[in-house]
Amino acid sequence: MIAAPVSETPPGSVLPPAIAAIRLSKSFGGVRALREASFAATAGEVHALVGENGAGKSTLIKLLGGRLPPDSGTIHRDGQPIRLAGPADAAAHGIGTVFQELTLLPWMTVAENLLIGREPRTALGLIRRADLAPRADAMLANLGIRHIDPRALATDISLAERQIIEIVRVIVRQPRVLLLDEPTSSLVEREVEWLFARIRELRAQGTAVVFTSHRWKEITSIADRITIFRNGAEVGTFTTIAETDAITLMTGQQVDTLYPTPAPIPATAQPALELTDATLNGGARIGLSLAAGEILGIGGLAGQGHRELFLGLFGAPPLRHGTTRIGGKPVRIASPADAIHARLGIALVPEDRKSEGLLLPLPVRDNLTLPILSRLSRLGVIRGAAERRMSKEMIERLTIRTPSATQPVGALSGGNQQKVLLGRWLLADSHILLLYDVTRGVDIATKHEIYELMTRLAAEGKAILFYSSDTEELAHLCHRVLVLRDGRIAATLTPPALSAEAIVAAAMQETHAD
Amino acid sequence: MPSDLAIAPQATHRRPRAAHVLGQNAGLILAALILLASIIGFAAMFWLEQDRLPGNFEITSTVNNTMPLAVVAIGQSIVVLTRGIDLSVGGVIDLTNALAAIWLTGGVLHMIGVSIAIVLIGAAAGLLNGLLVGLGRLQPIVVTLATLSIFQGLAIRVLPQPGGAVPPGYTDLLVNPNQPTALIFLLIAILGWMALRRSHLGVGIFAIGNDESSAVALGVNAMRTKIAAYMIGGALYAVAGLFLAANATAGDATTGDGYTLTSIVAVVLGGVNLFGGRGSAVGAICGAFITTMIVNILFFAHINPLYQSFYEGLFLVIAVVFGALIGRLVRGRR
Amino acid sequence: MSNLLPSANALRVLAAYGAAVLLFVIGNWVHPGFASFGSVTSILLVASFVGLVAAGQCFVILIGGIDLSVPWVLNAAAILLVTASLGQDSRAIYAVAVTLGMGALAGMANGIGVVWFGVPAVVMTLAMNGIIEGLALGLSGGMTCSACASYAPPVIAAAVHDVWLGIPAALWLWLVVIAVVSFVLSLTRFGRTTYAIGNNARAAYLAGINVNLTTVALYALSGLFSAMAGILLVGFGGQASLGMGTPYLFQSIAAVVIGGVSILGGRGSYLGAAAGAASLTALVSVLLALNMPDYGRSIIYGVVILVLLLLYGREQRE
Repeated sequence: MIAAPVSETPPGSVLPPAIAAIRLSKSFGGVRALREASFAATAGEVHALVGENGAGKSTLIKLLGGRLPPDSGTIHRDGQPIRLAGPADAAAHGIGTVFQELTLLPWMTVAENLLIGREPRTALGLIRRADLAPRADAMLANLGIRHIDPRALATDISLAERQIIEIVRVIVRQPRVLLLDEPTSSLVEREVEWLFARIRELRAQGTAVVFTSHRWKEITSIADRITIFRNGAEVGTFTTIAETDAITLMTGQQVDTLYPTPAPIPATAQPALELTDATLNGGARIGLSLAAGEILGIGGLAGQGHRELFLGLFGAPPLRHGTTRIGGKPVRIASPADAIHARLGIALVPEDRKSEGLLLPLPVRDNLTLPILSRLSRLGVIRGAAERRMSKEMIERLTIRTPSATQPVGALSGGNQQKVLLGRWLLADSHILLLYDVTRGVDIATKHEIYELMTRLAAEGKAILFYSSDTEELAHLCHRVLVLRDGRIAATLTPPALSAEAIVAAAMQETHAD
Repeated sequence: MPSDLAIAPQATHRRPRAAHVLGQNAGLILAALILLASIIGFAAMFWLEQDRLPGNFEITSTVNNTMPLAVVAIGQSIVVLTRGIDLSVGGVIDLTNALAAIWLTGGVLHMIGVSIAIVLIGAAAGLLNGLLVGLGRLQPIVVTLATLSIFQGLAIRVLPQPGGAVPPGYTDLLVNPNQPTALIFLLIAILGWMALRRSHLGVGIFAIGNDESSAVALGVNAMRTKIAAYMIGGALYAVAGLFLAANATAGDATTGDGYTLTSIVAVVLGGVNLFGGRGSAVGAICGAFITTMIVNILFFAHINPLYQSFYEGLFLVIAVVFGALIGRLVRGRR
Repeated sequence: MSNLLPSANALRVLAAYGAAVLLFVIGNWVHPGFASFGSVTSILLVASFVGLVAAGQCFVILIGGIDLSVPWVLNAAAILLVTASLGQDSRAIYAVAVTLGMGALAGMANGIGVVWFGVPAVVMTLAMNGIIEGLALGLSGGMTCSACASYAPPVIAAAVHDVWLGIPAALWLWLVVIAVVSFVLSLTRFGRTTYAIGNNARAAYLAGINVNLTTVALYALSGLFSAMAGILLVGFGGQASLGMGTPYLFQSIAAVVIGGVSILGGRGSYLGAAAGAASLTALVSVLLALNMPDYGRSIIYGVVILVLLLLYGREQRE
C-alpha cells in the first residue's frame, strides 16, 4: 500500500519552509524540464528528491541554487520571495549547492579550490598564498578528513576525493539550506557514511538539506521526507514509502520485480575470455575467467584496479603483464581497434558516456555505427542505405526514444544515451561485453530495461564482465562476483554466499599477508 | 570526531611539500633553467670568440633589445592564461610605435602625457578584443586575427612611411644604452604580476583558464575578467611599442608584425600552457630572454644566419617536448 | 550528409555564399563590370590559391588543430619547384612530385609531433614553419642560387593560365578539389572519422578509431595542399619570391572560419570554407576597385570579418 502523501509542511510547524519552489517552470529548447513544480523543505529536515532522469530533480536544484533562472514561478526563502542572480547570490541567501557537475578547478590546488573567494588576505587586500594550505588543512581536519593533501592539484586527486572537496567547500560556509544533486554518485560506503554524518550534524543545527539520489537504501537511511517527481512536477511527498511503490509513482507503471534472475550458464569447452598473470596497480598477479552466457561481476571500492582492468582488457591502454585468451587462443590487444576487431569482438561501455562514449553533437546514427565503419564501407565510401537500415533496426530493437536517427545524441535523455552506447556494440556483433557502471545516472525505468537486456544477452550466449558501484545490482544480476582490493582478487562470491553485504565486507577487509 | 574519513588502512602518505611546488611550477622552473643554460652557453661562445666574458655593453644591449618582447610576452601570457590568444599583438605595437614616433616631442610633461595616452590607446585596443571575446563570445584566435588587420591599417594611416623621431632623453630613460637600467622596469612588471596573482582578478583569470563554466558557477564574472585580461595585454603591448620606439629612435608602422608569433614562442618557452589556467608571466619573461639568447648563441657560433630560423624552430620543439616530459615526471603520474 | 546538423551548418554555408554574392553585387554597383564573367573568374582564380590552402587548413581545424606552417611550406614548395624543374617541361612531373612530397612530409612531421610528442599544434606547426624557412633559405642561399631564378615550367604556367570554356584551368582544379574534399568529408569513412575525432578524440579512440594515424594523415594533407598552392602560385606568377606565403596563413584561417567551420573542431564543411575564400578575395578586390588606400583596405577587411563572425560565427552558450 502506498503511504498517504503528506502536506508540504509537517504538522505542528508554524514556521514557513526554509526554501520553497512555487510553481516553477523551466524549458530548454522545446523540452519542458519543470512544469509548475512546487516543493518545500523545512529547517532541520533532510528531504530527498527522487524521480527518473528527466523528471526535473536536477533542474529544480539548479533553479533553487541560482544556477539558472526560472521561466516562471517564484522561489521563497523563509517565506519571502527572492530572485537569484547566480550561485553567488544564492550563497548570500544562505543557500549552498553541490551540483552534479563538479566545479573544481583542475589545475589549482585543493586549498585554492576550497578557499576561492574567501582567501586569507593581508591588510592591502592581497591574498596570503602561504596561508592557503594550512587553512585548508585545518578546515578538512575539522570535518574529519585527513587523507586529502591540500597542496595537491585538484586534477591529481581521485574522483571521490574531488566530490568530497566539493561538498566540503559548500558545507564549510554553514549554509542554512543545503542542496545536493547526486552527492554520493562517486562515493563508496565509508565516504557516504561520512557525508551522512555531516548531514545529520547540519540537520541538528537547523539546516534544511535537500538531496537527490538514485540509491534507495541511502534515501531510506537518512531522509525524513521523500518527494517524488515525475515529468517535471511533483507527484507526492511521503515520510515513508516502499521502493516498489515509489517506482510506480516515478514511472507511472507497476514494476513487479526489480531484478531479472540470471539464466543458467551453458557448459562450454573454453571460457570466452580468460586473463592470466595480469597485474593491476602494480599489485599481485591476478587472473579471471569468463564464460559465454555468464555475467561476471567485479566489485570493490573505487580505485582498486577496476578501471585499469576494464580499459586494459580493451587495450586502452593494454595491461602491462599477463596473457589474454579469447576462446582459448592467446591474443594480443594493443588498442581498442584490436579488441573490436570481428575476430575478437570485445566491447567496452566506459565510465562516462558523455566524455568517453558518445559524440554528443553527432547524430544517433553516426554514434551507433562508429566502430563498424569499415564493415559499412566499400573502398572507403560509407554505404548510406545499409547504415540507415542498421541504425533504424537497432533503435527499434532497444526502444531508444529519439525523434529521428539524425537527432544529435546529446539531446537524448541519459537513459537513452546509454542505450545508444549499448546499441553500438550490439551492432558491432560484440560477444564479450565489458560494462563499466552502465546504470550510473540512469533513471530507474531504463535501469530495468538495461537489466533485462543484460540478462537476455547473456542467455543468448554473450559473455559479460560487469562493474557497478551499486552492490545490490552486482549481487542480484551476476552469476559470480570477484571483489577487487589493492589490485588483487580479495574474494570470489557465488550464490548463496553472494549478497550486497558480502561484497562490501570483502571490499573493506584488512589485507592479510599472503 | 564521528565517522572520521582518514582510517588507518589507507596510509595517509603525503608527498613532500617541495615535490608539490616543483611539480606545479615545473614550467617556470624549467624556463628559468633553460634561460640559465642559454646564458651560460652564450657566455661560453662569447668567451671563445672574444677571450673575455660578456660585459656591460653586451648585457645592456641584450636587455634593451629584449625589453619589447619581454613586455609583450607578459601581456600575451595573461591573455593565454584565460585560455585565449592574442594575434593582434603586432598590430597594437605597430600603432603605438607609430604614434610614439610622431607624438613624442616637446617637454618632459608632454612626453609623459603622450606615453600615458599611448598606453591607454593600447588598453582601448585590448578593450575591443575583450568585448568581442567576452561579450560577443567569439573565439579569440579569429577575433584577434581580424583586429590585427584593423590595427595594422590604423598604424599605416598614422605613419605611412617609417619616420618620426624619439628624443634621446626618452630613449635614455627607457633603454639606457650604457646601463641595463631597463631591468628595473621588468622588476616593476614582476611585482605587478605578483600582485595580480594575489588579487581577485588574478584568481579569476586562472579560474577562467582552468574551467570557465566552473569559474562562473563559483562566482567569477567571466566577461569582466576576460575584458580586463585583454586590456592589460593591450596596455602592455603599447608599453612594448614605446620601448621599441625608444630602442629604434624612430617609428615604423610595420615593425611590430613579427612580434605576434614570437610572443607566442616566448610564452610557450616560458612554460605557460596554451590551454589556459597554468603558467607565470615571469616564465614568459624568461622565454623572451631565451629567444634572444638563442639568436646570440647562433651568431657567435657562426651559424649561417640563413639557417637561423631552422635552429630556432628545432629548439622550440625540443624545449616543449623536454618540458612536458619533465613536468610529467615531477608531478608523478597517478 | 549525416555529419552536418541539418539547418545550422547548412545555414552557415549558405550565409558564406550569400556574402560572396553580395560582395560581387556591391562591387558591380560601385564599379560596373566588376561582376562580369571575365572579372568574376579572374577574382575567383586568385581566390583559388587561398582556397587550396584553406582546404588543408580545414582538415586540421576540423580536428581542433591548426597549421601555422603554411607560409613557408608554400614558399619552399615554390622554390623547390623552380629549382627542381629548372623551367623545363621534361622535369615538370619530377619537380611536382618532389614538391608535393616535401609538403606531405612536412605535414607528416607536424602530425607526428602533435600525436607522438604531444606538442600543441600551435607550437609544432609554428616551429615547423621556422624549420622549413631555415632550410629553404639556407639551402637556396637566400634564393641567390643560380637555379632559384628559374621560371616555372611552361606546362605548369599553362595549367594555371589556360582557359577552357572561359574558365582558367586553375579554377577548374579548385572546383575539382572542392568536389573531392567535400565528398571525402561527408561520405567516406575517413571523413566520418575526422568529424568524430574533432568532436571527442577520446570517445573516438574508444570506438576503435585510430586517432593518431588519422591526425597525422590530416596534417600531411594540409602540407600537401600548401605545397600545391605554392606550385600553382609560381605557375601564376612565373617566379618564386621570398615571403610569398605570408599572406596565406591568416587568410586561410579567416576563410575557414567565416565559412562556418568551428575553430574548436568537429563542425563545418569545406564548401563553406571555399565560399569564405571567395568572399575574402572578392572583398579585397572590391576595395581595390574603389581605389581605397591600403590602410583602409586593412581596416575594412578586419571589420568585415568581425561583422560576419558576429552574425553567424558565434560559439553557442551551453
